Amino acid sequence: MAPLLDSGHGRARTYRDEALTLKNMPLGEADLLVTVYTRDSGKVRAVAKGARRSNSKLVGHLEPLTLTRLALSRGRNLDVVNQAQVLRSFASLKGDLTAVTKGLYVAELVDGFGLESQANEFLFRLGLDTLEAISRDPASDLPLYFFQLRLLATTGFMVELYQCVECRQPLKPDRHRFSSNGGGALCTDCIPNDVQLRPLSLRALKVLRLLHRRSIHELPKLKLSVPLDQEIKSILGTTVEYWLDKEIRTNSFLDHLQRS
Amino acid sequence: MPGNVIEELKARNIGPRFCYRPPPGGGMTLDHIPAAAPSLARLIQELNKLPGIGPKSAQRLAYHMIRLSNDEALALADAITAVKQNIVFCDLCQNLTDSSPCSICSNAQRNRTQICVVEDPLDVLALERTHCYLGLYHVLHGVISPLNGIGPEQLKLKELFPRLSGGEVTELIIATNPTLEGEATAMYLSRHLVHTNLKVTHLARGLPVGGSLEYSDELTLSRAFQGRQEV
Repeated sequence: MAPLLDSGHGRARTYRDEALTLKNMPLGEADLLVTVYTRDSGKVRAVAKGARRSNSKLVGHLEPLTLTRLALSRGRNLDVVNQAQVLRSFASLKGDLTAVTKGLYVAELVDGFGLESQANEFLFRLGLDTLEAISRDPASDLPLYFFQLRLLATTGFMVELYQCVECRQPLKPDRHRFSSNGGGALCTDCIPNDVQLRPLSLRALKVLRLLHRRSIHELPKLKLSVPLDQEIKSILGTTVEYWLDKEIRTNSFLDHLQRS
Repeated sequence: MPGNVIEELKARNIGPRFCYRPPPGGGMTLDHIPAAAPSLARLIQELNKLPGIGPKSAQRLAYHMIRLSNDEALALADAITAVKQNIVFCDLCQNLTDSSPCSICSNAQRNRTQICVVEDPLDVLALERTHCYLGLYHVLHGVISPLNGIGPEQLKLKELFPRLSGGEVTELIIATNPTLEGEATAMYLSRHLVHTNLKVTHLARGLPVGGSLEYSDELTLSRAFQGRQEV
């Protein structure tokens, strides 16, 4: 977006951008510290002054899982939100407890994998498209699996689903193994004897390849059996958590909801 | 047990207003205040640990306390000690109180068929100031916040459900904040109570008094339309 005012050092003092709000937390008496993922500037942490007052013009515009157009000023440590206008509020997603928890899972991963001041428009679009897909079908886990797979791809950690990560030979239909830290599937010839690796069933491999080939707008209406669903969930969840290198906090409440 | 309440809130790290987070870098140490006398430096250091109190504010408060009369200073110290020794959770509503049950729960004039669920004790004070609600309360001491790893088991929910099963309560009013987390908590509660005969309501969402349509977000405006009333 065009800079509004040039500080004379090559960087505009104020700028506008589209942003997906990932989280916010109270700061001081009435301020909010918001973390957003922007189209042109990547992850940005900014202060919204007075945003917790009920008559603030910013209140409601900076809720998590909201797409907004922001006008910001660059600060020494944190930027400052001057204006905010909601572009998409994802109201139907916010009206369903499971959907909102899945949305927060997406926000946590975008926050974890997104880099400050480094734009990744694909990640920005992926986050929005996934929230859209969850709104359309809150009960399905496929949008989350798609998101995890594409998140790994767009941040440089794509899992190998077509060749063995060890010998680089194309995978033949067989009982393969999956290595999160190795980067994908291992053929039967390359399975190490001394390491216990997660089995990767042929059906799970096919579903992962299908998710990899399709766009989120043409997600198949698949009905996964419970063991197959658990296998895919475990493979993708473990891989994402391995590369993120920290516990995903939303997982525990998501599991709690899915159990109850 | 007296004294354990604040520790419990701190340990569970819930509720932004009760959440103690040390300042970045562990806060001010005595080495940072070399010019102050050791006892004064210690007071500044302790005040700096309070939420929202920075180093400069801590110094101003400390010097103000020096200027207090002995009686005023001891009254302040006494108040802090009394809070630490006497404050307990009310056995019924889980509000902070000197004696359990609290003054609201033990008041025979209150309407015992309604329970209003709030996030933290300050919300009870805010609602009591309105003088328009005469029922009982239940304080959750936080909200479900998946991003912060806070689930229903960290809230005072298990103390709420027995209160609702006695048959005396007919309406549960959910008064969590209209934030994403407050709404998630409200949805969780209503999902758990859907098969009961209890009437579950939540406070109206919409435009604040003194607010402006022009600056309102679309979600607030749509909720305001849904909750419109005949004039």
